[in-house]
Amino acid sequence: MRSPVPLLLPVLLIVGWEVAAYIIDNPFILPSLTTVIPILLHPFSAEYTLGTGSLVDNAAISLFRVASGFALAAVIAIPLGIGMGRSLFLNDFLDATIELLRPIPPLAWVPLALAWFKIGFVSIVFIIFIGAFFPILLNTIDGVKSIKRTWVEVAGTLGARETQILGKVILPGAAPTIWTGLRVGFGIAWMCVVAAEWLPGITRGLGYLILYAYNFGQTNVIIAGMVVIGVIGILIDQVFKAGERRWFSWRSLER
Amino acid sequence: MKIPSLIALAGIVAVALLIAGCTTPTPPAESTVSLIQTRGTGPMPTLLGTDQIDAYIAWQPTVEVAPLAGIGRVLLYTGDLPPEGKWTNHPCCVLSARQDIIAENPDLVNAMAALTILSTEYVKENPDESAEIVADWLAGKGNFTYGDVSVSSVDVLKQAFPTVKFVNEPTEAWIDGNIEFVHALRELGVLTGSLANTTDEETRAILFDTDPYYQAQAMIEAGTITTPKPVAKEIGIGYLNSDHHAALFVVVKNWQYFNDNYGIALKPVDGTQSRPEKAELIVNGQKIADVRLIPGDAGPQLMQLASTEAIQFAYVGNPPAIAAVDKGTPIKILLAINTEGSGVVVSNESPATDWESFVDWAETRSATGKPLVIAAPGKGSIQDVMIRYSLEWSGLSVSEG
Repeated sequence: MRSPVPLLLPVLLIVGWEVAAYIIDNPFILPSLTTVIPILLHPFSAEYTLGTGSLVDNAAISLFRVASGFALAAVIAIPLGIGMGRSLFLNDFLDATIELLRPIPPLAWVPLALAWFKIGFVSIVFIIFIGAFFPILLNTIDGVKSIKRTWVEVAGTLGARETQILGKVILPGAAPTIWTGLRVGFGIAWMCVVAAEWLPGITRGLGYLILYAYNFGQTNVIIAGMVVIGVIGILIDQVFKAGERRWFSWRSLER
Repeated sequence: MKIPSLIALAGIVAVALLIAGCTTPTPPAESTVSLIQTRGTGPMPTLLGTDQIDAYIAWQPTVEVAPLAGIGRVLLYTGDLPPEGKWTNHPCCVLSARQDIIAENPDLVNAMAALTILSTEYVKENPDESAEIVADWLAGKGNFTYGDVSVSSVDVLKQAFPTVKFVNEPTEAWIDGNIEFVHALRELGVLTGSLANTTDEETRAILFDTDPYYQAQAMIEAGTITTPKPVAKEIGIGYLNSDHHAALFVVVKNWQYFNDNYGIALKPVDGTQSRPEKAELIVNGQKIADVRLIPGDAGPQLMQLASTEAIQFAYVGNPPAIAAVDKGTPIKILLAINTEGSGVVVSNESPATDWESFVDWAETRSATGKPLVIAAPGKGSIQDVMIRYSLEWSGLSVSEG
């Protein structure tokens, strides 16, 4: 990182937390981070996580689940979004239903996921899919719709076929917005990990670890799990931002 | 008519009704306590440690955690709740099985009953070793941290173990105890289906199938377990992460012992896991079924899994099993897993030392306008039913939330 400014607030928050914990002097309200740090310092040890496997194991399992749900959402939402952005009929046909389903939180789908897809991987992926799907879809539609008509018309005038317009104009033009959708979608998918791992029949994952620790009132394990979720979230977001800088910097040059 | 004249008219009517004796002034309020439900026992120590509740009723080991973490005292264990003798040996968890598997593969159900009986015997004979196994299952033998106090899970479990009575036999007294819970759940308005209006005899016929218990006992006494026909489909066993279900944890962790001594075992596929997810049911050296061990966070969730055929067997509290049967889930209760094993914890500041002084405390607090707040793990849970009953029996009225 070029300047230390981004680190300033996290450091202040940590110091503030410790000071507040000292002043409040009730570890149930604000536990000292000294109960959390040993867990974070042993990411490969299962000793600190109530027999739930190491933090690294749990993070890897959760990441795999989230990546699977996210990939499925992207594979369905991007083509659908392009279709809806290009076809007024398709948009009119689907829009109301999508807007109806969109506000339903992934957690509310848990009982149905369990009944439809049974215990196991598919149910988890479904919950994460629900979280990632809508931001990707809406950004794709938006990206396609916001392409300048002149670009499409020029391509048409020059004799481009629909597939060529799609491949040479629409997709590259909408790509930055789709990328933003993927970035937001992955963020929400990652947020859904706790809801998804709330499903019964699983015994691994960061979300599971947090909920398991909650069953025994283990606040320090819960905070450690939250920190790991947060840190992984930042790292992945950095990857998306790097991609944006690498591939879509042309957007800031456009006039 | 203007508003002031409306109010005046209402006042005149009220006075007239009072004089006529049609209404009576509100009688002095009886003492109340407030009962809140916390969906499991996890948040209870935190709620007590932050003075948001004055007491809680929980299953073990959440009871033993309070004195070890210095946040409260054990007032009493649930067998001692009033009226005297009413809750002694009260039923707690049971083993249930889906009716289709009982019909299709009775030998498999008998084998599961035999495993549970043998393991319960082992737990009773080896409480310290069993407590360690449970501590491994629940917490990888690590520490529980409450506030700034860390306590060894092994210590917590060793302390909790003697307060749980591990028994399997579906005795008359135990069945009657279950039927008491049916009555209590009916009064709470939980039962609206097939058990809403049944006689005790009918309830008994609907709820129980004790045959597998006696078949299993006979096999154990004869020294041979009948080999069930192998099952192609994976069998699901639901359980809760509670020391009440020690029999299941011990039989999986010590599978070799049961295999060598009795020819029956639930062998974990990955023996390195603290909480194995998959196992094989082996009888007389032959693999009978792949088994999936499915933890739930509460009984109702396990019963939902049973209703969708995701699990065939469940170690579960008796109220969720009763409520599930009432709603049409095709299961039977086979045998007991444990009785008692819960307790009431009060804050360190509480003047209560026994139930009588607890009731006095509740009355004093109610009179000052700050009724006691007691946490229970969920509406219709064993703990909720018992504390509600005992409070009302002691002349206290219970308000929700």
